[in-house]
Amino acid sequence: MIRQVRKYLQKMATDGSASVDHSLILAKDDCLLWQGSAELLPLGQTLIERLNIISLVVAEPPLPICDVLLGRTSADAAEIIPQDTETRTFLHDIPVVRKDEFSVDNAQSIVDLLGQRKGILVEGVGIVATGSVTVEQAYINYSSVYHALFVKLMLQLLADDQPPSAQEMNLLQPLWAQLGTDIPLHCDDLLAGPLLEKADILKAIDQVGKRTVALKLVDSFFGNISCFVDDSLYISQTGASLDELPGCIDFVPNDNSSTAGITASSELIAHRAIFAKGNLRTILHGHPKFSVVLSLFCRETDCKITDCWKNCDKVRYLNDVPVVAGEVGAGGLARKVPPVIDCGIAVVYGHGVFATGDEDFRQPLSAMIDLENRCRNEFLQAVQARCTNETK
Amino acid sequence: MMGWTGQLLNVDLTTGRIWKEPIGEDLLQNYLGGRGLGVRLMRDYYRLDPFAPEIPLLFSVGPLCGTAAPTAARLGVVSRSPLTGTIYDCSAGGRFAWRLKAAGIDVLRIVGRSNSPVFLQIDSSGAKLHPADKLWGQRVGETVAALSEHGSVAAIGPAGENKVLYANIMMGEGNSVGRGGLGAVMGGKMLKAIVVDGDGKVDIADADRFAHARQDVIRLFKASPVIYGDLGIAQYGTPALVDLMGQRRMAPTENFRKTHFADAGNYSGPAIRKEFTPKNHGCYGCPIQCKKSAQDGTPLPEYETVNHFGALNNIKDLRSIVNSNNLCNQLGMDTISAAATLSAWGEVRGEFPRAENIGDLLLQTALRQGDGDLLAEGAQRLSQQLGKPELSMSVKGLELPAYDPRGAYGMALAYCTSNRGGCHLRAYPISHEILRKPVATDRFDFAGKARMIKIAEDCNATIDSLVACKFSFFGASLEEYAELLSATTGLEYTPQKLKEIGERIYLTERFYNLENGFAAEDDLLPKRFFTESGSSGDGIEVAPIDRERFVEEMQKYYRIRGLNEQGGFVDSTFLERQP
Ligand SMILES: [Zn+2]
Repeated sequence: MIRQVRKYLQKMATDGSASVDHSLILAKDDCLLWQGSAELLPLGQTLIERLNIISLVVAEPPLPICDVLLGRTSADAAEIIPQDTETRTFLHDIPVVRKDEFSVDNAQSIVDLLGQRKGILVEGVGIVATGSVTVEQAYINYSSVYHALFVKLMLQLLADDQPPSAQEMNLLQPLWAQLGTDIPLHCDDLLAGPLLEKADILKAIDQVGKRTVALKLVDSFFGNISCFVDDSLYISQTGASLDELPGCIDFVPNDNSSTAGITASSELIAHRAIFAKGNLRTILHGHPKFSVVLSLFCRETDCKITDCWKNCDKVRYLNDVPVVAGEVGAGGLARKVPPVIDCGIAVVYGHGVFATGDEDFRQPLSAMIDLENRCRNEFLQAVQARCTNETK
Repeated sequence: MMGWTGQLLNVDLTTGRIWKEPIGEDLLQNYLGGRGLGVRLMRDYYRLDPFAPEIPLLFSVGPLCGTAAPTAARLGVVSRSPLTGTIYDCSAGGRFAWRLKAAGIDVLRIVGRSNSPVFLQIDSSGAKLHPADKLWGQRVGETVAALSEHGSVAAIGPAGENKVLYANIMMGEGNSVGRGGLGAVMGGKMLKAIVVDGDGKVDIADADRFAHARQDVIRLFKASPVIYGDLGIAQYGTPALVDLMGQRRMAPTENFRKTHFADAGNYSGPAIRKEFTPKNHGCYGCPIQCKKSAQDGTPLPEYETVNHFGALNNIKDLRSIVNSNNLCNQLGMDTISAAATLSAWGEVRGEFPRAENIGDLLLQTALRQGDGDLLAEGAQRLSQQLGKPELSMSVKGLELPAYDPRGAYGMALAYCTSNRGGCHLRAYPISHEILRKPVATDRFDFAGKARMIKIAEDCNATIDSLVACKFSFFGASLEEYAELLSATTGLEYTPQKLKEIGERIYLTERFYNLENGFAAEDDLLPKRFFTESGSSGDGIEVAPIDRERFVEEMQKYYRIRGLNEQGGFVDSTFLERQP
């Protein structure tokens, strides 16, 4: 178990979701195990001992997104409502604990909220998330909360009534510097198609999965990948980490002659519907942050729809890339994406990107990178413009 | 009080007296309903012999029953098992639970023994006993047909009348109160059937909050490949698992001598679909509808049943398996235990029963005629009597279902820690070890499993008390069900609080069992699993389980549960300290 603790602490540092100096993972076997920042230990220990759980992550993102977001949230708000689909579906809302509501000796407010939700935001501490089965689960819940808060804040900076202040822009300076440099179009060394043999397909899926994570295009748990050959799919399993796909690929014949693929990704239905259009060989699905943020930026003014994730029937565009709404799995996305994906890429409102290839994974990966880069640029310019306008 | 009716209906079959009494709010709030409340109400009776007239047979609904909470039209039936000798509960879905609650009752408690066969009729105005001499001896279908004009029926078949130790109580819609032989307890009381037809409504404290939570649950169902995926259980029913278990090489075959059956494709989900073009046929009010039936209405078998009447008995004929399933339903017998007992008998004799003989054997079992009299005792007693106790593939006398423990180490532990014997549903580690929900774990590794099992047992004890279906939790979690419960009752329940309730229920059951003579040596798998390999292949090695490592993890489990090294209670006053 201590190996798992080390592994996910390392992962949080590598994927950029947690500051190395402010992250702690605890796990309970028949005794308590932990790795990470000792100064967080007293709080972490108090929490894990009082909850019927296996693992706990206490960490702060490297950028002050929690502080900036809390600064924009009314002091009496009990929770933050996420905008992105993944979090909306699996976490519902993210409870908030303010500084004056707890201390290490009196952490009851945090215990109570963690008894209700998989992850919460604690002012001055960061994100606290739990797992009741594995260490990995606390890491996934942490990542989900981080993703949700990040998307929520970016959308506010872009579209809220209150434009970003100079102070906020200053606090987030390292982010603007990151966005100033494009994600490299690092695709041409991926295995070239056509991908016909099982061994090649598994290798190509492994490669592209690792690459999307290495490029920080997506967080490792949010996405799925498939390859179509001989009227069958090879598809990543549900809950599989994109950078650890070997052994986690299901073979799913299109004629449903076997149900062994019951463990395949929840987006199997969407992948099948996309392949049913013919001629396509590969699909890459992930949740690049700025594509997700911009997909949520809707300019409709006179719209009656309130549950946009589910009920919006419009096709909008990010530049020339179509955006449609639809919930995960059997929830509608599988119907809405295939009709608009002829151009090789489509975005699902508040969720992520589907990109297709007709030979290998170079084409969908480069399309996804290209879209994300364009979204990053557009976002940066728009936010900077809003801030400048404000200070004038 | 919202969510509960607060009423217990007593029926004393010895005297014919029927009366209502209130249930304390304290008990309802701390044990919820279903399994938890039923187990609590056994506190003064758990030592009784399962066939003693005074033993209570409890039908207990939950606070969510009667609401639109997904999969919650269920009840728990609780007593002591004649098969295992443990405290016993079984969760069953169907219209019966709904109608019972609608008659204004949280718990129906049946005690005593009638002199002659009777059936019990309950509606909103009261309850009455009627003679059932004409129904005695009838199969389940005939009994249900004779009574269904009066409401929803729960009945026993000939197996229950003849006290087959794994006799079921069958719900009219085809659901069964299975495994532990509570049908025999009902038969011992000479109670042939219960028919209920309440028409009350359950009020909800906060309808908006309820609707919101319900939407969350449905969204999670849709996001779950196991539930609503193209290859999931809504499409194929639980036989969707046949291909998966085959691929994972953990499908029990020939009394667990092997773990792979080459002909399993004959009864896979797709094979059943091709042969029968099934209709969906699920529990009342359930959005998943995982049960399937043939066009003529014959219920089609579940995963456990196809494997056990198939691979476990070396039978490859789908029609034979469907017939066995149907016959068990009609005779009112548990399919897993019936098939596993036949399989143990087969290995003892050196010859597994042939497909064409299974029907006769099942009939003889239900009637306790010929070889059937021994088969009716279950695998453990049968193997002992035939001098080969090691060939009973059971834990605490309950025959193991269709997940070989050598293929999933959490499952290996959980079979042994289950308070009702070798059951897969108490901790249901298959969910993470095989189906990757809520996250995947390494099935060939014991690391961390003790605590996983402990937490899952607590969660599932709560789920069985709400009462909701375990399959809901391939998508949803206690988070959403705590919301549904809070919205229904107007009391605040959190997942953490629900797990505490679950822990109390689990420990209460274990306490009863230990008092009744169970000990650490009963928390053990049959020797076969520690000494023989399964069927390795396709790059998967199915080795015997490392017994030392197993014992080490069991010791961890005891420590995590707060038990001593012998798995016993440190504090003998545990029960007295509980509400
Ligand atoms: Zn997605």
